[in-house]
Amino acid sequence: MEMPVKPPTVQPPPVGFRERSFFARNPSVLIFIGLLAVFTLAVTLMSEALGTGFLSTSFIKTLGKTLCLCLVAIAMDLVWGYCGILSLGHFAFFGLGGYMIGMWLMYERTKTIVTGSLANAELPPTPEEVRDAIGTQIFGVVGGSEIPWVWAFADSLLIQLALVVLVPGLLALVFGWLAFRSRVTGVYLSILTQAMTLALSLYLFQNDSGLRGNNGLSGLQNVPGAENVPQSVISLWFFWASAVVLALCYLLAAWLVSGKFGNIIRGIRDDEARVRFLGYDVEVYKLLVFTLTAVIAGIAGALYYPQAGIINPAEVAPIASIYLAVWVAIGGRGRLYGAVIGAALVSLLSSWFTGGQAPDLPLGFYTVQWVDWWLVLLGFSFVLVTLFAPQGIGGLVDRLVRKASP
Amino acid sequence: MTTLLEVASVSVSFDGFKAINNLSFEIGEAELRAIIGPNGAGKTTFMDIVTGKTRPDEGSITWGERITPLLRMSEAQIARAGIGRKFQRPTVFEDQSVFDNLMIALKNARSPLATLFYHATKDDKAKLAALADEINLSDQLRRKAGELSHGQKQWLEIGMLLAQDPQLLLVDEPAAGMTVAEREHTTDILKEAAKTRAVIVVEHDMEFVRRLDCKVTVLHEGSVLAEGTIDHVTQDQRVVDVYLGR
Repeated sequence: MEMPVKPPTVQPPPVGFRERSFFARNPSVLIFIGLLAVFTLAVTLMSEALGTGFLSTSFIKTLGKTLCLCLVAIAMDLVWGYCGILSLGHFAFFGLGGYMIGMWLMYERTKTIVTGSLANAELPPTPEEVRDAIGTQIFGVVGGSEIPWVWAFADSLLIQLALVVLVPGLLALVFGWLAFRSRVTGVYLSILTQAMTLALSLYLFQNDSGLRGNNGLSGLQNVPGAENVPQSVISLWFFWASAVVLALCYLLAAWLVSGKFGNIIRGIRDDEARVRFLGYDVEVYKLLVFTLTAVIAGIAGALYYPQAGIINPAEVAPIASIYLAVWVAIGGRGRLYGAVIGAALVSLLSSWFTGGQAPDLPLGFYTVQWVDWWLVLLGFSFVLVTLFAPQGIGGLVDRLVRKASP
Repeated sequence: MTTLLEVASVSVSFDGFKAINNLSFEIGEAELRAIIGPNGAGKTTFMDIVTGKTRPDEGSITWGERITPLLRMSEAQIARAGIGRKFQRPTVFEDQSVFDNLMIALKNARSPLATLFYHATKDDKAKLAALADEINLSDQLRRKAGELSHGQKQWLEIGMLLAQDPQLLLVDEPAAGMTVAEREHTTDILKEAAKTRAVIVVEHDMEFVRRLDCKVTVLHEGSVLAEGTIDHVTQDQRVVDVYLGR
């Protein structure tokens, strides 16, 4: 038996061992945060409140909402692009986050109005009278005046903020535990998540769900305690908050996927059984990623709906979560900036095309009106991306970067 | 020699087909064993049962000095207990570097918290360098595993197996698709590993088995047909009839 000739033991250190800092390994993080900072500053300088007024307040709200959509897209990229769980239900968590903050906004705002109108009465109103008046004001539209139990903490900003995190987190934890424990994967899991968001939407549509049925929650753009602050300023507050949270979550996500944890969840995506036979509890990892991304989605929703002003059950309809997957697919799965590019591009284009600003396209025999045809265009682009650029726009960016630095 | 793994009267059937039929098997702490047998003899099912992928209908499996029952443990728990497995088709994480593949496998805490805050220690790096050297992949560490040749992928997977530092290695057709030189090196790796731990090799290639120079177990229709040295089993008339003669 011949033993193979061993190479000499004195060798230069192998290349894989080189230590580099987090930012050197993830150049996109600094670039992204830098661009976001420049963008935020530019928008602020062009705002009506603090700048030239070049950008209208409603457009700043659109931009702020877009940042929130980028945030939920990062969550989607983590759970799908990195961990391989094609959740088609993450907008349920987004919506729940919106509802949780919306309850406080609406309750406190109504309380201010009610106490204002009761102040002229001869006797000062009792707390019960105030509560009854709030109930009538909020729930009259669904034929009730009782304040449902789910509003128990609606007067506490702190508790509602905690619920923004806890409600989506707990739903994801329970749902994920049941699904992953039973080893539901692939398309079956996607269908289950669709069922989850559909069930939530149908439940919220009911008048006795306690969340005003199909009316949803409205007037969310009015921040209690800031009645004298104009919307042009409030819109900037939310825009800044969205930008900061987006930057922080991008950083968090980049850190999560850059180390060994990231290697393992990508391993789960590519070959779940292999990871299991290496001794990792795959279900625990999946549950963790699923729940964490649900929480991020909830936070994104809580920032989004005060800028949108209204939330109703249609927001958590199954189609919303499918759009989310389309954004991430077009932007490029498995790269965080891809998710951001996809969400920003597609959602801005979508509001441009469906907002009636896009010029009609006369074909002679037929005039294409984008309000009707936008979805066809989107579907067509999705097919094209899937066929010709399966790595999405992010993949094209990668290729350009690689060409620039050989 | 103390027994490391004992499989006692295990049976499993799929839709009425008895894949494993009253199979008993044991292996010691530092032993190399080859399992051969015709297609459908139950070789892969046997590995599935030991690693927890398939639950048997009857029988028991005990493990280690403390005679731990394996059957109630999950795949991940069994792997952590010290049983490593290499699949028939090389399964490495193609999208990740050779370095990362080995790092994922390297014996360390497996909890999410531990992996989140993991930093490679000097010791880990030294182990990894030695391993990479052993599987001839020292100069490939930065490459994506998907770019490796078929034989290199097989080595990488064996390397990942060794990185787990298991007490028992289950190796399914390690030499498939390898050149003659690669096969020889693979034999050396396995024989070296078997000096300190138990190694079970499932293989079709009789030449390869002969070169392993170890005790051979012949499976047929889900149970052990013969056991002994390679010369002993190849001269067994029943073995010739069901397997070699075909």
